[in-house]
Amino acid sequence: MRKIVVGLTALLVGLLACAPQDEPTIGGGETPGAAPAATAAECAERNRGAFESPGALTIGTGNPAFPPWFEGGTNPGSEFELNDPANGEGYESAVAYAVAEEMGFTPPQVVWVPVGFNKSFAPGPKPFDFVLQQISYTPERAEAVDFSESYYDVSQAVVATEESPIAGATTVAELKDATLGAPIGTTSLDVINEVVQPNVEPAVYEDLAGAIQDLKAGTIDGVVVDLPSAFYITAVQLPKGVIVGQLPRTGGEQEYFAMAFEKGSPLVECVDLALRALKEDGTLERIEQEWLADKADAPVLQA
Amino acid sequence: MSLPAGPSEGGPLLAPPPAGDRRARLLGGGRPEGARGVAVAVASTLVFFGAAAVLILRSPGWPAIRAAFFNGEIFRESFPEILEKFGRNVLIFTTAEILVLALALLLAVMRTLPGPVFFPLRLMAIAYADLFRGVPTILVIALLGFGMPALRLSGVPTSDLFWAIVALTLVYSAYVSEVYRAGIESIHPSQVAAARSLGLSRTQSLRYVVLPQAVRRVVPPLLNDFIGLQKDSALVAFLGSVTEGLRQAQIVQAATFNFTPFVALALIYLAITIPLTRLVDWLVARERARRQPGAAA
Repeated sequence: MRKIVVGLTALLVGLLACAPQDEPTIGGGETPGAAPAATAAECAERNRGAFESPGALTIGTGNPAFPPWFEGGTNPGSEFELNDPANGEGYESAVAYAVAEEMGFTPPQVVWVPVGFNKSFAPGPKPFDFVLQQISYTPERAEAVDFSESYYDVSQAVVATEESPIAGATTVAELKDATLGAPIGTTSLDVINEVVQPNVEPAVYEDLAGAIQDLKAGTIDGVVVDLPSAFYITAVQLPKGVIVGQLPRTGGEQEYFAMAFEKGSPLVECVDLALRALKEDGTLERIEQEWLADKADAPVLQA
Repeated sequence: MSLPAGPSEGGPLLAPPPAGDRRARLLGGGRPEGARGVAVAVASTLVFFGAAAVLILRSPGWPAIRAAFFNGEIFRESFPEILEKFGRNVLIFTTAEILVLALALLLAVMRTLPGPVFFPLRLMAIAYADLFRGVPTILVIALLGFGMPALRLSGVPTSDLFWAIVALTLVYSAYVSEVYRAGIESIHPSQVAAARSLGLSRTQSLRYVVLPQAVRRVVPPLLNDFIGLQKDSALVAFLGSVTEGLRQAQIVQAATFNFTPFVALALIYLAITIPLTRLVDWLVARERARRQPGAAA
């Protein structure tokens, strides 16, 4: 009998040894009742304790970091492929540094960490303050993470090869019998299902590379991606690629990219203040002109 | 690859446990303790799982986990779709299994052919098994699925579904051929000698004497590999143009930023793999009982 008691006790002790960890401190500063912060810098100062690492703005993004969102190549020793977000080049990188400046951070205080797409919204402690990775706002996603305001209003476009049957399409109706592909995690698939409503089931890829490969092989007729990425694909990845056209929105709601935060993060407010300031003083517009000006125009397919 | 060969596990040769006394085994090894044993097992189970449940439910992250992995609404919405797309997994793994059973048998026979004349065939079979057991399944799927259609050869199918089935067949044939081979080699040479002396040709003795016994012996490991194949059919999601169970779950996951669809898919897998696992256990137990000294052969 004693052996049994000892055994049970051992079981219990073993279980309790994995004691719950302390509640992650998410709040940080912001005393309730205080007047809302007027500027991003003030907001960041008040929420000093809420940052992932003190005195730094830690931003997560995908690896590889694709153009035109990130440009300028990679640096020796950087764990990022294609482009190092820390060089400030490319639309998202430039926006990030502008936001950081509004919040009172100097460029060296901005830290980039590679984050898998799934990890950006998995529950649990996150190794970043927010994720910046061409993530579109949707109400469903907003149940799992908090989103900033728009930092880029995006539209979706169809990319094909010259020999694809849909290469010359001018209407959405012409896409109905095409096999369209989309990378997983983007809202491109929703656009295919809602706008094109194809008769053929769309193909959904792990990443853009897989979709491009099948497009080259002729397994699929076209790939739906955001317009700036479409320009990058046809310019770099797909020598015989063409942008068939932009897809019109049916719902009427403008799709936009937003930074994603852990649910309840007080930093959303700070980033929103920064984005508003950047919109007001024209900085965001200027960044868009610099990095995306030649990547915003393609014929819109007739609904 | 252990064959269910004869008695093992701590010398039950001397004191074989009563055949079929599964309850006693489940409750804790050779020494049946009657009512007290059952009571202790129940108490221990309650304490262990009770404490585990309390620990998990009271953990600070539990509300977030419950919302992200056990969202009832998303479960209800996504389950029918995932189940429907899982039909493709069923198509993939049943087709592949049929092909595997045939191709693997051919490979095993090739590898066990005697004599110097058949050396090239043996060599091929060995190289095949080495190659496809040595490369991760997902790589074979990716290389064939993305590579073969890109050849743009006329007559070469561009269907990802086709190449997924081919890739799984190639990989699992390598494993299953080893299972068959173990079965063939477990048949005592005297059996062949006897068959040959009765006037059966080499092929006939293989067909009518060796293989029937060998295959029967390896049914449990064959089923184990079939379970593995069922699970690995999820790797086909990697190819993209085949929206099977896992990809459908990923689609919902990406749309909602919620992991509940993965739990739904896991339940579907368990619903088919657990009965099969139990069947394997039962077959192994039956085979063991049959080979027990004194049991009717």
